[in-house]
Amino acid sequence: MNIARKKYPIFITFILFTTWLVFVNLVDGDWASLENSLDNLSTFFYESLWPPNWKVIEAQAYPVCDRNWDFLCSPAYIGIMETLKIAFVATGFGFILSLPLATLASRNLYRDSIAIPFRVLLAAMRTLPSIIWAIFFVILVGLGPVSGVLAMTFYTVGYLGKLQYEAIEGLSNDPLDAAKAMGLKNSEIIQRVVIPETANNLISQLFFMFEYNVRHGSVIGIVGAGGIGYYISTYLKFLQYDKVIALLIILFGVVIIIDLASIKARSYFVEDATFKSPNLFGNFFRGKKNK
Amino acid sequence: MNTVIEMANLKIGYSPDNILAKIKNLQVKQGEIISIIGESGIGKTTLLKNIANLVKPISGSLKVFDNEQNRGRIGYIPQKLGLVKHETVFFNVLEGAICNESILRSISGFHDDSVLTKVEKSIDLMNLSDKIDEPIKRLSGGQQRRVAIARTMAQEPKLILADEFLSELDNKTVDSVWKTMLDYVERENTTLIIVEHNIERAKLAKRCLKLEQNKEKGYSVLNEVQI
Repeated sequence: MNIARKKYPIFITFILFTTWLVFVNLVDGDWASLENSLDNLSTFFYESLWPPNWKVIEAQAYPVCDRNWDFLCSPAYIGIMETLKIAFVATGFGFILSLPLATLASRNLYRDSIAIPFRVLLAAMRTLPSIIWAIFFVILVGLGPVSGVLAMTFYTVGYLGKLQYEAIEGLSNDPLDAAKAMGLKNSEIIQRVVIPETANNLISQLFFMFEYNVRHGSVIGIVGAGGIGYYISTYLKFLQYDKVIALLIILFGVVIIIDLASIKARSYFVEDATFKSPNLFGNFFRGKKNK
Repeated sequence: MNTVIEMANLKIGYSPDNILAKIKNLQVKQGEIISIIGESGIGKTTLLKNIANLVKPISGSLKVFDNEQNRGRIGYIPQKLGLVKHETVFFNVLEGAICNESILRSISGFHDDSVLTKVEKSIDLMNLSDKIDEPIKRLSGGQQRRVAIARTMAQEPKLILADEFLSELDNKTVDSVWKTMLDYVERENTTLIIVEHNIERAKLAKRCLKLEQNKEKGYSVLNEVQI
């Protein structure tokens, strides 16, 4: 049999073998640490994590709660709401900023001398994880949700920008060619071809990014950038792991709900959906029409 | 008659090492209707893209409207029509019409009434008024082709380049789509170049050019033929 026909099994074997070799290299002979890991996990779980401490859904001692339900003054509610707000604003800002950058980074719209620098810029914004952006903005603007919004916005621009320029480059050449041959300027082509043709993808990516940012809310809060992460980091400092696990369970629940809503919403905009999808961008850009 | 296209010693392709075709000399006058025929992969679409200024020639001289940059002079209908499939008939035809207004007006969305009237007139001429708010993806092949023609009509170009735009249509629809296009180009004295690999459909044009493979040289050459 021709060796080329066996390339997939050979490739997979190679990948598995290399992964194992690198792993062995990283363990560096210390297999005992792995053997004890299950025992350690069991001890940690039953002594520190379980059962979760549900006091996190009760009102905090200070400030005094002036609302009807104690839950509305609880660390869980305050933290989750702040995380949701940070994620919402950062995703919105990120989307507005990333779209122009993504069009400039698209090689089917602009020549390489323009597209490549913008790709490098987006890659640079993506390279730093959101926690590093959060540390940077906490230093710049101080502790709190504003630094969280700025950190997440920067990361969102880098991440969403990449998804967007990949969607733009995946467009069929024909509508672009027709528009270019007509003599339309790039700004017109973006408005009349690129955005309408990629609108479903862009909206789907927007939902994905919001969900991603909610998940990351727990990370950036650890460095003081607000949200549920702030409470998680406080409980970690005081070794209150049972409260940490309670907050993580709540966060997990919220993420699951957002994930389900996001899947539903995204399916509404994805190509070949079984039901009619509205055309948000098209309706914005259609302009007036004589009846 | 004004010369619309002039080619001399033109070499086309995607790289100097991969020349698809060579055109020694060709002149196309205003109002001519020309078909370009040839086998698949011989360079017909590339030639059209060169004329549309979408691809640069490898070498030689190619002048379209004396290389004056003028918005909206060339109407290009690609093989797959180049319509914005998620958008409506109105939106697509408007894309052609905005060539006749300033970029500022076009981007702002506050289109001139004359532009909007032109759009509706073109849609009406193509008998698509009842489909005006219908997304392109829900139209049949014949209806989509009529939208592409309506877009070109609203654009009012002086040169139309159509790449196998009659393919995948039944004979009855070919007749009606072709008649509409012909009426338009004759009325407006527009130059029309269609690329076809179907000889019967190529006969619909008044002048026929054939890209033929020159096996010795490894590229194709353009010859005028009678069909």
